[in-house]
Formats: sequence, structure tokens, C-alpha cells
Amino acid sequence: MDKSILTLDKGTRCTAWNYSGQRLAAGLVDGSLLIYDSTDPASSTFISTSRFKVQESSILKVVWVPPEYGDAVACIGADGTLSLWEEVTEDTEGHHWKLCKCFDRNTSQVLDIQFGDAETCLKLVAAYSDGQIKIYELLDTLELEKWQLQAEFQNVIDLVSNFGHASCVSASISWNPQRSEVQQSSFVLGFSSNVPALNSPKVWEFDLDHQRWLPVAELSLPEEKTDQVSAVAWAPNIGRPYELIAVATQKGISIWHLGSNPDADGRLSAQKLATLSGHDSEVWEMEWDMSGTTLATTGSDGMVRLWQSNLNGMWHEQAVLTPAS
Amino acid sequence: MALSPSTHPVQIHKLPQFAYIDALRWMPHLSTFTRHILLATYDSDSSTPSLQTLTFCPSRAAPSLTPQASVTAPSRITSLKISPSPLTPSKPIAAASAFSGSLLFYSADLVNGTLNLEFSVPEKGFHLGPVSGIDLNENGSECVSVGEDGRVNLVSISAKTGFRRVFDSNGLVSYSSVRWASPVEFVTGAFGFGLHWWDQRKAGGPVALFKDNWTGGTASGIVHAIDIHPSRKHTCLAGGSSGTLFAWDIRLPKQPIILSGVGVGDAPANSLVESDIWEVQYDNYTHSSKIINSSSSRILPAMICSEDGILGVIEQGEEPIELLAEPCAINSFDIDRQNPSDVICSLEWESIAILTRP
Amino acid sequence: MPGVTSDSGELNSLSVVPHTLDTQKPRVYPLRLHRVTRPLARLSISWARGNTLRVSLLQTDDAASEQTPGGEVVEVKLGSADAGEIPEAQWRRIAYGSVAPFALLQSRKNSMDALHYEKDWWEHVMEYSKEINSLLGNTKSSVPPTIEDPKTVLKKVEEPTSLKAAWELMEMFYADKQSQTWIPERLLDWLADFDCLFSGTQPTVHAKLVSFQNKLVTIQAVENHPEYWEIMSSALAVGWLDVVVKLLRLHGSYLFDQLGSREIENGLVEAVALLISEMPRLRPDMPTEKIGECYSTKPEFMKAWEKWRAKITKLDCSAFWLQCDHQQTRVGLKNMLQVMLGNASVLSNVTYHWIELYISHFLYVRPFTVGLESMYSLAQKCMHLKPISYRHKLMGLIIGILEENTEVVLAECSRSFGPWMTTHAIELMAAGSTQAETLLHEEQSKIGGICIEELHRLTYAQILSSHALTWNIAPIYLTSCLKQGLGLLENLLYKQPVQHHLVLLKSMEICRLNGLDYVSYNMMKIAGVHYWKHGKKGSAVFWLQQARDEVRLNRIAKHLFDFVGKSVSDESFKQWEGMIELLGTESKTAGGLEFLKKYRDFRRSLQQVQEGITTDAARKAAEALISLMRNPSTPQQFWLPLLYDSLKLLNWQEGPLLNVSQTNLLLNKLQELSLARLLPGFVDAGLPPEALQSVRLALATNLGRAILEE
Repeated sequence: MDKSILTLDKGTRCTAWNYSGQRLAAGLVDGSLLIYDSTDPASSTFISTSRFKVQESSILKVVWVPPEYGDAVACIGADGTLSLWEEVTEDTEGHHWKLCKCFDRNTSQVLDIQFGDAETCLKLVAAYSDGQIKIYELLDTLELEKWQLQAEFQNVIDLVSNFGHASCVSASISWNPQRSEVQQSSFVLGFSSNVPALNSPKVWEFDLDHQRWLPVAELSLPEEKTDQVSAVAWAPNIGRPYELIAVATQKGISIWHLGSNPDADGRLSAQKLATLSGHDSEVWEMEWDMSGTTLATTGSDGMVRLWQSNLNGMWHEQAVLTPAS
Repeated sequence: MALSPSTHPVQIHKLPQFAYIDALRWMPHLSTFTRHILLATYDSDSSTPSLQTLTFCPSRAAPSLTPQASVTAPSRITSLKISPSPLTPSKPIAAASAFSGSLLFYSADLVNGTLNLEFSVPEKGFHLGPVSGIDLNENGSECVSVGEDGRVNLVSISAKTGFRRVFDSNGLVSYSSVRWASPVEFVTGAFGFGLHWWDQRKAGGPVALFKDNWTGGTASGIVHAIDIHPSRKHTCLAGGSSGTLFAWDIRLPKQPIILSGVGVGDAPANSLVESDIWEVQYDNYTHSSKIINSSSSRILPAMICSEDGILGVIEQGEEPIELLAEPCAINSFDIDRQNPSDVICSLEWESIAILTRP
Repeated sequence: MPGVTSDSGELNSLSVVPHTLDTQKPRVYPLRLHRVTRPLARLSISWARGNTLRVSLLQTDDAASEQTPGGEVVEVKLGSADAGEIPEAQWRRIAYGSVAPFALLQSRKNSMDALHYEKDWWEHVMEYSKEINSLLGNTKSSVPPTIEDPKTVLKKVEEPTSLKAAWELMEMFYADKQSQTWIPERLLDWLADFDCLFSGTQPTVHAKLVSFQNKLVTIQAVENHPEYWEIMSSALAVGWLDVVVKLLRLHGSYLFDQLGSREIENGLVEAVALLISEMPRLRPDMPTEKIGECYSTKPEFMKAWEKWRAKITKLDCSAFWLQCDHQQTRVGLKNMLQVMLGNASVLSNVTYHWIELYISHFLYVRPFTVGLESMYSLAQKCMHLKPISYRHKLMGLIIGILEENTEVVLAECSRSFGPWMTTHAIELMAAGSTQAETLLHEEQSKIGGICIEELHRLTYAQILSSHALTWNIAPIYLTSCLKQGLGLLENLLYKQPVQHHLVLLKSMEICRLNGLDYVSYNMMKIAGVHYWKHGKKGSAVFWLQQARDEVRLNRIAKHLFDFVGKSVSDESFKQWEGMIELLGTESKTAGGLEFLKKYRDFRRSLQQVQEGITTDAARKAAEALISLMRNPSTPQQFWLPLLYDSLKLLNWQEGPLLNVSQTNLLLNKLQELSLARLLPGFVDAGLPPEALQSVRLALATNLGRAILEE
């Protein structure tokens, strides 16, 4: 059953649903942000409740801040800026959106960001067009204004080498969705750049003993290490003994199996389960469902595709949703 | 868990509605044979909230409900109260508070089967966010409303315009329920098992606060419902989280009488319910048949419904009586004031149960 | 397998359950555009509750005219329900109703010991099955019509659903151990109830009967109509004996005015009717309106059967036929005798659907058929004789059951009837055979270490999660999943919009019942932060307290101190009363907020000192001051204002209120404070500059007086 639940304004460039699917943030070409809300928790009727100007340039991506930190979004602009906006009620008449933080704009642009580690200390991973990864930490649980740069590194296994002249077109980050205070936080990140070593997706984990981020796995076969990565997605794990991560490159979508026990070097075993082709061209987005069994993808072929493993562990395309008038 | 109907003489009939019931009330009787019910429903397939009157035909074998009039509500209804109209008995007044923060007044014409919006208090400036509780006073002339925003408002029905702000805590206190105690006094229930007693003759805030550490600091909760018996206006009966039901006598402000509850103070060990009590009403039916000469200090029996699917009667010093046990929550109920043997209640699973006590 | 599958490319039938029988090619489903037109600039996806996928379709700028919007969001519910047969609200009713029987069966399963399991288990399963079946509608009309029209041969009943038909099939083959010996008769009953389901796409006995009944009112002398005889043979073939006898009695020879001319004819009709009503049936009992003689044991039945067949043969060879002048009657009755004698070609002629032929073979050719193997080979034979162009979804299920292929049955169930059916029918299948039970309960490493039963429960729970009114019954199914149930339940709870009061309370109740305190704390934390940011400070503190979130409470306390510190002399402090009440005295998780309450008490007593001048009140106030200053949770920024406000106490006329050690404590605090002033981050209380000096002086005086007293 399909039904249209809301109409987007002219010039919408990107959309993002909040954690509960009750609010949608839409970024516009003129730099405005629109918020759509459902009238009550059971309703699937959405109306636009706020509209405000974030920046002069077009908004490329909107990401919601985890709900433990309020109703807030991060916006990536076409000019490479990154800003945080929050909904607050300060006077007696309703709420409004205020700018909390504008991250310093240096020469490189922000390509992708993701929030993680909401249980303990909120972290923001940002991938930049020069191939840098920056991790910011929130200093105050109740204020989104104060951030501190916790780490900065490049997406390479060999930590000593440095690629100064990297130029990246896009990046994709996905945190391990596991909500656990005991397990160390980790995320996977891949680039689409002119420097082959940066591209392949690496799983980064925070090493508590040495207080630094370490690459614990690389999700690419030797012959595909240079492939440009367009999207990565870490599947929710509701009880599997291993992790599942989907990686999209021009060659297709691959499903990776990530072991949970590190070897002597602290590396996690990674094994490619399947290579799936479908979108033929660029994969735009990938998202796992809440049980981590179905992967939904969209791509430049204009289709939504659903992927699943059958009982024999064979990954295959389950269905294609094609927009039709 | 479910009681078989044969083992106790209460007749129970369940009528599926195919819509979620947000609230329900008996309407004042038009005649002995025609009775009406007001329902606030929510059709999730079309996302439509509505109010409807239904004609109730009592029958031992299969009582039925026939839709009479229906109007679409601007948003889902959070609380519903009825008051007989003093001039035209066939047109009772219904006050309905909306999730969107407005307050609506309807007049129901039971003879011609219509439901008309008389006037509404617009959302703007009234409450911020949902209205959590309302109550109509005895003669239906005034309606008091409270919200999580900490505002207490009064609406005069005869004036049909606007509202009067009694208090605004600016969100420092969140109110969850309200009940009139007298024409000039009312009681509000709040988060933290708080009760505030208000007197319109004394402006500036509540005249009495009830908030003691009687829960021993172990549990706290929210007062979801309050009832005050017309013959004992100094005693306020409140039900809320963790199956808690307690009575607060304004003359003895530090000593609540705990009638039920889990892990709160000196509650009786055998609690009938363990989760939220959604509605509380003094049960005149049990009252009239059982206690006539009890002392005035004794709390009158009260009916409650709960999240864990219980509809029951709790009486001080007695074993609680379970009238209905459902696998889903019982969200609200109403005892027919003119015929207290009859009770309607709304079940979470889109149906209504009608109980007739012998 | 022959024929095409019944599901078309509709979204409703989109299966989300993996099974081994998947064809490799993905099915294509159209996503209807309502407001935008192609070409689209971009598609964006997001999973909402459960199996709901939301697709943002963004319009390209150039292609759009003035009226077209910038895009739209389409919500797709995957595999939520059986396509169209049952409306949404009805589905929800079934979902609600199945909770209690399912939960009861699970709790019985958990409490049952292995010894009794084998023997009595199926009885519990049958009880469960009956309750579930009752939710699926009532095919048998319960109230008989008061005035029976002789021409109403077929009672009008509520339109049955394939879902109910499927459930009854599963029940009879898997759960009902008592009916194992008379399965053919049960199948006959089943077909009588559900033959109409096949009428839509294919001629059936039921369809023929309905169309004939409609004509019946206008027909005089039915016996002249060939259709009359055809329909009786057909109905007889599928065992609807009551219908046949009723129709026979409509024969013209029964009429009064025919008396005298058609006795023989009438006698033959009646003889056939009699034989039909004497037909031996291998079943323990029958509903009253049905005809035949029941035999519960095989030898008795066999004896009766032989006798009955002998009677038919005898009648077939009777000389009276020659005296019957009405040719149609003669031929028609003879044909009916052939049906009863099990003439294979006649049976094939009078039936339409292979399952009708199948039933007729059970009745008249091979009444002793037992065992699924022989039933399956007979079914294959019948299918071969009557190939079908359209394969109804029930057919796949029947074949799967007969060929004893649990995997096919599972796949058919989930593909044609959806996750509700699979989840609930698995209980029947597991009771059916050890082989099926093993297959259902065996852990599969390929699907993450869960068993097939759990896989289907998880899928069903996900479907339930998709709807705002059913998500809260998903936990019942999830808690019956040992491996991944809690994991999915956690994810489900974390997706709830907890800033809505009632959703939060409902989620907390689910956490309470399932011992998920940590999840409930997290949800209260989310709610608390939401309220805090949205001006509802009272509920914010309440929920954060409930969530025992000391970090945030301390942070809030700091914020409030700033506020209170500024407005301490104002009347607006009164506003905070309500909130301070909320905090209580003993609450351990109030964080630094506990101070506010103490501070309020102190100010109250100070007020009294200012109003009336009793040394007693002053002494109390002084004690409160000491306790506040001693308390480590009293923020430093309050020290000086506290002391400054208490100048009157320090300079008490009637004698020192503080002893030496108390005064020393205050002096130490004062010293600490003057050191802290030099550090960064010091919050100035905004008191007059001479404040510190006057406090210092007052303390010195007090110390002097105290020393003199001691």
C-alpha cells in the first residue's frame, strides 16, 4: 500500500526524518530549512510548521541530532559550511529555531557528517573534501553550542602517510547503530576521491587505552581498494553474532560480514558476502530497516531497490519500486 | 486473566468500533428508554478525529449502539466532559479539549440527532501544546483547563469568548488533570503526585499544596485523574502512575490515605492494578447498596480503570472488586450518573465495553 | 509447478520474509506519483516504524511548471496485509484478537513438561486454533431462517475468506489429531464452505448451483430441464447430499395432480433420494442438516458401504426403469446412480475444478484412502484430469500440505496470506509432525542463528510495528523470540515519539513488563530533554529525575542557580515554589537541585525573622544557614549572598546565635571564596562591593562574642 503523505516545497534539495519519523526536515536550494510535523503521534498527515533561512547557498544535506540532545539538525551547505540549528521555546509563545553552532569554515568543504555515541558523549564525525576526518565532541549535555575537536585524521590504514592534495567529491559515514555503553563506539567511512588510498571504507574504533581512533577493518578486496565509494550503511544488529555493513561503489553494492572479536593486532575479520548489481550507476542512498534484514537503496536509475538474504544466506534483490505516474 | 461472565453476575458486552476511542461519556437521560453516549474517536486509516453521539439500546442479550450524529474534530480529543444544560435538558453541553491546544464546546441535540459546535477557544495563547485536562462545573457555566505548559485557564461558557488566565507557572509545573470542588474552588493534579487546591477568591496561586514525601522517595508519578464527591468537598481522590490511588483531605494536608499502589508508602499489599490508573470516579452504585451509615472519615468506594486492563472498584479497608480484566488497556470509563449500575468503558483495541451490574 | 502464481505486482503482496523458494528475479512494483511528475531529480529513502518505507521524490527544477510542488513523500507499507481481501480495520481486529490465544499457548508451552507434551499438546493447539478461527469470520450462518422457502436450496451465508479457508486446512491436517481418520470427510465439509472462493475465476459446482437457484423461481416442471439433472449429479458428486435430496423433491412427480400418472417415476426418484440419505459416511458425527449415516469405525463403515453399494446396483438393474416414461428423469437418475457407483468418467464430467473431482473420488471411488502419500497421488491424478488456467492461492497450500513439504507450505502461507498467517499457523505446523517441528525450530546460522519460527515472528512484529495502533502488541510476539526479540523490541521502543506524553507512558509500561529499565531510562531522558528545551521545565525535571540522569540534572541545577541567584530578592521566586515542591526532600536523584529546596526553607525562616523578632526563630534560621553552608551541594556562588542576607543573624542583639566552631566554618568559607574570586570562571553574585567586608566584620564580631560566652 502506498500513499502520499506530504508535499514538499519548490526547490527542495534534501530531506531527513527524525528518529521517530514524526518530523521531516527539508533543505532548499535557497538555503532555507522547512520542518514538517505530524498532527499527532498516530497520524500520517504532515504539515509544514517552520521555515527559516539557514544560509545563502543551497542545503545539500540535513542530519538530525540524536533525540537525547533535543530537536536539532545539522545542515551541510553547498559552500561547504556546517551549522547546527535547534528548536527551543524561550518565550511564552511557541518555539523557534535558533542557530547553535557554525563550525569553522576552512579551505575544504564538509561532505558528510553523522552523529554517534549518544549514550555517553555525543560525537560528530565530519568528512572533508581534502580527505580529512574530524571528530568533534559535545562538551555540555544540554547545550549544543560547545564542541571540541577530539580527533583529526585521514581515512587510511597506514597512519603515517599523509595525502596532501586529495580532492574528494563525496563521502559517506555510518556509525555502528549499537546502543551500548560498554562497547566502544565505531563507524565506517568511505570516500569518492582522486586518492585511491582514501577511498576504501574503513571501520574506525576508538581505542580507550591510547585515546585515539584506530582503523580496525577495511571493507574492500585487494583489487577494489581504489574503487570510489558512494555510500556505506551499517546494519542494526538485534542479536546476530556478527555485524553487517553495506558498501556501494560504481561496481555495485557489496554486503560485508564483520566479525566481533578482534585478532592480536586489534583487527576485526571482514568478509564479503555478496556483490549485488542493480542500480547500474551511482548509488545515492542506502538504509537498513530496523531489524537489519532488508536493505533499501536508491540510485541514479531513479529506482528504489530492496535487498535481502534468503534462508540459504544468498543475498538477492527482493523488489524494485519504480516511480510511475 | 479474563473472568468468565458466568462466574459473576455483571453483564459485559463488547462492541468493536473500528476506530480508536479517545474518550467517552454518558449523556444525561432524555427519557428512561433512550440513552445516549458521546464518543471521541480517531479513525487511523483516514487520520480523522471526530465526535459522535450514539443511541444506546439496552438489552440483556445484545445491547446495541446506533450512531446518531457525528462531527469532525480539529484534532484528537484529550479530555471530554458533559454537563446538562439547565434550560434545555435535551441539549446537554459537551466540552472537549484538543491535542492541538484548543477547547471546543458542543451542544448535542439528542432529540433531533445533531451535534453543533457552539464555540471554541482558539489555540493561540490558550495553552502551549496539548490541553491535558478540563472540567465543567456543576451548572455547566464555567470550564477550567490545565496543561503541561503549567497554565490554568477558565472559560466562561455563557460569555462565549476567550478565556481568563488563572495562573501561569511558565512550565515550571506541569498539570495533568483538574476537577471542580465547589463553584469557586478546584483541584489540579500534577507531575510528582502533586495536588494543588485553588480558590478563585484568592488570586496569585494555589491556596494549598499537597506534596509530601509519602512515597518515601522511592517512586513518583503523575496524577492522571481526580474526583471529588459532592457530599465531601474537602476530600480529593486522585489516581495515577503505578496503580496509585490516594485521598487527600484538605483539612489534614499531610496525611494522605493510600488506597492502592505499588511501592508507594503504606499502600495495601494486594494492589488490584500495577500500572497507570487512567480514570477515577466515585462509585455511587456500590455506595448506595453497601454503605449507608459509614463514618464520614471513610473514603467512599471508587471505580478505576487502568493501563493493565482492569476495571474495578476500590474501597477503603475492603478487598478490591474486579469488574473487567482485559488483555489490553482500558483507557477511560464513565458511570451513568442517573443509572449508576451501567458503566461504559473504552478499550485500547478499538472497542467499547458496556457493563450492567445487577 | 503448473500454472501461474496468484500474486500480481501489487505492493500489498510484496513479501518481506525470506524463504528458500524465492525466484531469482525481483518483482517490480509501481510507486504511484500523486503530485509530482517525472523526471525526478532525486529519490531519498527512510525507514519509518516497522516495515514502512518513506520515499522522498524530488522534482527537477526545469521540468516543473508553476503548479507542481518541489516534491512529495510517499509512504509504502511493505507486505502489511493480504491484498484487498480483508480491510485494514478488520486486520487490526484479527491482530488484537490473536494476542490472547497466542500468549496463552506460549505460556502453556513453557510450563508443560515433556511427558505430557506428546500426549495432550494438540488439545491446547486445537483450542488455540478454534479461537483464532473464530476471529476470521463465521462461515456457517448461526440463525436458521424461520420460514424456509422450499426453493432455497443454498443458504446465503457471509462471504468466506481465503484466509479462513487456509486456516481450516492447516487445522485439519496439522492440529486436529482426532480428525486424522476421516480427513476426506473433513475436506468435503471444507469444500462445501469454500467452493465459492474458486468461482471467481473458474466454473465450479457452487457457481452452477447459485446460477440454477436464481433461475429456479421462474422454472415450471424442473425435470424437463437438463440443467436440473446436471446440477444434481454435480452436487451429488461433491457430497452435498442435503442439496440433492431437496432438489429431487422439487421433481414434478411429487405434485398432487400428477398422482395416478407418474407413480413409478415418482417411486424411482424417491428411491434414489432414499439411497442418497442412507449413504454411509466415515465420520463420527454430522451437523443436523446434513444427510447420511455416520460410522466411526472402519469395519462398520466397510460393511455398510458394501451393503449400500449392493442396493444401488440392484436399483440400477431394476425393471422399473422400463416403466418410467419421462426420459430426462430416467437418464438423470441413472446418471446419479453412476455417480454413486463411482464411474470415473461420469465423475469427471459432472465436476469442474480438480478439487471437486478429488472429493468425488474420495466419496465414491476410494472411500478408504488414508495417508498423505496416497492422497497426494490422487490429487495429482485429479489435477492432471482437470488442469486449471488460474491457480488460486489456496491450491498451492493444499498441494504443499499433501506433498508434506513444510517449506512449500511456509512459503505459500507467507506469500499468499502474509506474516500474520505464517506466525500463527506455525503453531499448527509444529504440532503436526516431528519433521516439521524440527525444521521450524532448528537454528539457522545463515539467517543469524535464529530458527524459522523466530524469523516469522520477528517479521510479523515488524508489520505490527508499522501501525500506530498495533505497535504495542508487537512486544507480545517479540518476547516469544528468544534470540533477537529483545533486540528488535529495543529498536522499536527507541523509534517511539516519546515527547508525546501517552506514547512515553505506553513505552514505559512495555519496558516495565519486560524488564527493560535501561531502555525506559533512556526514553525518559529523551522526553526530559525535549521538555527542557521546550519551556516545560517542571516535566523536564520530573522525567530526568525518573531517568536518574544526574549529569543533566546537575547541569539544570546550575542553570537554575543562575536564575534564582539573580531574582532571589524578587517575588518571582514564588514561581519556583511548585517546581521545588516537585523535587521533594529525600529524592536522591535531584542532583544539585536539592539545594534549591533547602535554600527556599532558609529564606522562609529568614523571612520570619524579619517579621517577628523571636530569638527562637532566629536560632532556627541560623541552624539552617549552617546546614546550608556545610552542605557540599550548595553552589559557591550562593555563599556570599547567603551570608549577606543573614547579616541580621550574625549581629543578633540578644547574643551570638553561632558558636565558635560554627563561626569558624563560615570564616573558612569566606576565605575560600576570596581565593576563588581570583580564579577564572568565578560567578559574581552581583552584591554591593562592601558586602564581603560587612560579612567579614559581622563574623568577627560574632566570633568575639561567642568566645566570651564559651
